[in-house]
Amino acid sequence: MKIRIVKPGLLTTIQDLGRWAYLAQAVPVSGAMDTYSARLANKCIGNPDNDAVIEFTASGASFIAETDLLIAYTGGGAILEVNEQQLPPNRPLFVPVGSNITFTNSRNGFRTYLAIAGGWDLPLVLGSRSTYTIAGFGGHKGRSLQKQDILESSQNLTPLAEKIFLSLKTDHINYSSWHAGVPFRTLDNYTIRIMPGHEFGWFEGQSIATLLSTAYNINNRSNRMGCFLDGIQMKRRHQQELLSTAVTPGTIQVVNDGSLVLLMADAQTTGGYPRIAQIAAADLPLCGQLKPGDAIKFEEISFHDAETLYFEQENNIEMIGQAIAAKFR
Amino acid sequence: MQPSPNYLRIYPLSEKAVSIAFGQTISEQNLRDIALLNKLIEQQPLPGLLSTVPAYATLTLFYEPGTVKALHSLKGETCAEKIKTYIDGLGASSNNGVEVNSRRITIPVCYEGDYAPDLNFVAEHNNLKPGEVVHLHSSVTYKVYMIGFVPGFAYLGGMDKRIATPRLSKPRTVIPAGSVGIAGEQTGVYPLTTPGGWQLIGRTPVQLFNPLAEAPALLKAGDEVIFKSISLTEFNEYLHENPYR
Repeated sequence: MKIRIVKPGLLTTIQDLGRWAYLAQAVPVSGAMDTYSARLANKCIGNPDNDAVIEFTASGASFIAETDLLIAYTGGGAILEVNEQQLPPNRPLFVPVGSNITFTNSRNGFRTYLAIAGGWDLPLVLGSRSTYTIAGFGGHKGRSLQKQDILESSQNLTPLAEKIFLSLKTDHINYSSWHAGVPFRTLDNYTIRIMPGHEFGWFEGQSIATLLSTAYNINNRSNRMGCFLDGIQMKRRHQQELLSTAVTPGTIQVVNDGSLVLLMADAQTTGGYPRIAQIAAADLPLCGQLKPGDAIKFEEISFHDAETLYFEQENNIEMIGQAIAAKFR
Repeated sequence: MQPSPNYLRIYPLSEKAVSIAFGQTISEQNLRDIALLNKLIEQQPLPGLLSTVPAYATLTLFYEPGTVKALHSLKGETCAEKIKTYIDGLGASSNNGVEVNSRRITIPVCYEGDYAPDLNFVAEHNNLKPGEVVHLHSSVTYKVYMIGFVPGFAYLGGMDKRIATPRLSKPRTVIPAGSVGIAGEQTGVYPLTTPGGWQLIGRTPVQLFNPLAEAPALLKAGDEVIFKSISLTEFNEYLHENPYR
């Protein structure tokens, strides 16, 4: 299966679940900003969770089906359309050769994931297909997708992907009546859960109270490295230098003027700013859907509870996969 | 000498990472202790371990939570507790005869012409001649304390304070890969072409980061580094013999 990019949109990159084995050499994790949606897109068409997907930012992109396609899309950045007919998200879609697929506006989120049966066929670089544009490696030629880029899927389909393909293949657009069960969670009034970071105690009580009660807005300088959060700044109890140490996607750092920076997928692996909090892993995918201007609030939970939430979410994803497989037994 | 991991405490960084803290200072003792613990972990690997990240005074373990949670042999309810049990076990049982050897790596640097745009400034700032700056920079053995900031960037300790120079007041938008710079009392090499504010005194033809290599970063924590002054001709010869991949 093959597509050709007509309009690349704001920022379109190949991602998987990231590059975790080279952190000691300061190679960032990268990977999908919303890993939950990326995994769901793969599950819908019977792919392994870590297959490469395309991450689209906001709306405006379009591509042409150069062959018949079995695809699925998830996330909240856009609605896919063919000839002004909307294609439903979170389920397998059969799209015949020649279709022109466009990404129209969706107000729910910021990023959309497109999976294809077999996964996008690109070489592994340092164990991952994720694009890290800053150093120019991974994904498609180490860069974001451009007009006229051709992308092909791997021909190694899982038995489940083969069955889904055969169940939908025809000469027109076709999709399943079932969906993957989880509608995209919107961020309206959504609270992001955080755990206290190791330097939490460096900040004044009043600042902590502010952090846990007032809204923060996503600044438009935000990108795949991090979200700059506009809101009331944090005050330190005492000035103290932090020796550079490990950080990870989801770490909230406080920079010198007291502003908050939420580190995301392409963040550097070490940092010297105090870490006031860490986003719960179960809520980090939602942060990948934040767009400039969005407001978020924080709620404190323990590391213990965060781990429980993480395993509940993992279970949930596993069950979605099993439910889809059960339909084709 | 009786090597023994003498960490202070263990704390979670996220649901997928724990950090082991060794104190609040930059010291060769911390560097050795962190390298030793890292070596013990390498010798008795933890199932589900993805990466270990050494920093000045911490060693951070990144892991796959599902695999660690399923390790019933390790005492503890959460992954962080299980990893604490694992780390404590390493210190207690296996500190005999473990040695951490540091590699010594020579990096050729051309301190001439266009490759050294700030050499004269660094010299004037410190009341030295440019040649003296080059000599002071290339006659010490540096220690790699950690890799961070950008892929392959080594935080080096050991620079002679007589060539310390503040950063540029206005950072450059493009600094070519291989540039050797000074920022305050630190020196380092830019592995990638990035913006930056360091005073540039030379350039190495050696590739410090290559994503296609099995070990993509040339340097790692614990290495000893020596800068060797080379001429422009030698620089070009090196590039000719070792083209960037």
